[in-house]
Amino acid sequence: MRLGVGIGWRPEISGFVGALPGLRFTEVIAESVHPAAPVPELLALRDRGAAIVPHGVRLSLGGAEPVAAERVARLAACAEALGAPLVSEHVAFVRAGGVEAGHLLPVPRTRAALDALTANIRRTQAELPVPLAVEPIAALFDWPDAEYTEADFLTELLERTGALLLLDVANVYANARNRGEDPADLLARLPLERIAYCHVAGGSQEGGRYHDTHAAAVPNEVLELVAELCARHRPPGFLLERDGRYPPAAELRAELDAIAAASGMEPVT
Amino acid sequence: MSEFDAGLAAAQEALVRAMTAGGPMPEGFDAGAVRAAAHGILLKRAGEVARAWPSLAESYGTSWKAAFAAWAAERPTRGSLRDGWDFARENRDRFAGDAARELALAEARWSYDGQDPPRPRRAAARRVPGGAVVVLGRWVRVFGRDPSG
Repeated sequence: MRLGVGIGWRPEISGFVGALPGLRFTEVIAESVHPAAPVPELLALRDRGAAIVPHGVRLSLGGAEPVAAERVARLAACAEALGAPLVSEHVAFVRAGGVEAGHLLPVPRTRAALDALTANIRRTQAELPVPLAVEPIAALFDWPDAEYTEADFLTELLERTGALLLLDVANVYANARNRGEDPADLLARLPLERIAYCHVAGGSQEGGRYHDTHAAAVPNEVLELVAELCARHRPPGFLLERDGRYPPAAELRAELDAIAAASGMEPVT
Repeated sequence: MSEFDAGLAAAQEALVRAMTAGGPMPEGFDAGAVRAAAHGILLKRAGEVARAWPSLAESYGTSWKAAFAAWAAERPTRGSLRDGWDFARENRDRFAGDAARELALAEARWSYDGQDPPRPRRAAARRVPGGAVVVLGRWVRVFGRDPSG
């Protein structure tokens, strides 16, 4: 499926997103959707044929505890309500022992974590009406005692589960920068043909670390990585994530145009 | 082989407690990097609470994020609605005007004991700063000299 360039739907910018003439692809935070009564702006996008991908942030697929059946059922209901072609979630955990982390946390790259992720992804896939894509996260720290490299861990996870890959180019950039690695090395070792779509976002440098905040313009280095990825294997779509500190419409349009230019895709503005 | 590992569960819980609830830092981690991540999460939570409780956050001006982060550092999130509510109740003597009205409106519209999730009230009437609020089902009306809240 060709998705093209999209932008994450958020209530604060729903008017801007709905007015983009070429938009065929958006994403909505799954936990913000009422499956029985999605907001009219989203239904209007669905009805004009745009692909709407519910993007979960609270499933905790990487948790050592079995994924909650009611959370999976809600995600499935979201996909049905929005006519979604697929749904996505993270290779991460967000709670443990009943304590909420408040954010996506990295899993250790160990056999035990791979087993837990595999089991949770399979349970989720069994209840979903559409394919699942999983997204590696940006993390400021790694667990000690890794048994796999990041590329090997992700590749084995995708092989075991048949899940698609949601590759966040900004996360690849952030992790490589914070670890002092070359982001292109990870691209060279991931199964790029399994990418369902990509995320792109901006962040900020604080205290010597790059934080993937989604609250700033996409840096040139990330756009260059988008171009590098497309030179290897052009994925079906790129989605701009913006959360908070929403800029004027002209700046958002310029960012979407920059992503289209870097990826060689049609502008949607 | 079990799909879910008790050792992994314990390790994940220890990390979450260290990051959100004042627990000890687990061995082997880059403590500075984990603390930086935890601080980033607090700032993000502050932004989310500011969207749920805009007048509360505005009443703190530019010190909102620092004030909320200090309060929330050892309190795991219970969602932005309740995080803001718990913060507002503990600090209710320190603000007035729109922030006090925002809290009073929430308490008229929802029943919240500080433990279980808030539930909408079917009917309520409460004083708010500068007037009163009446709630009947989904109908909410503020009476007073400045009914803008």
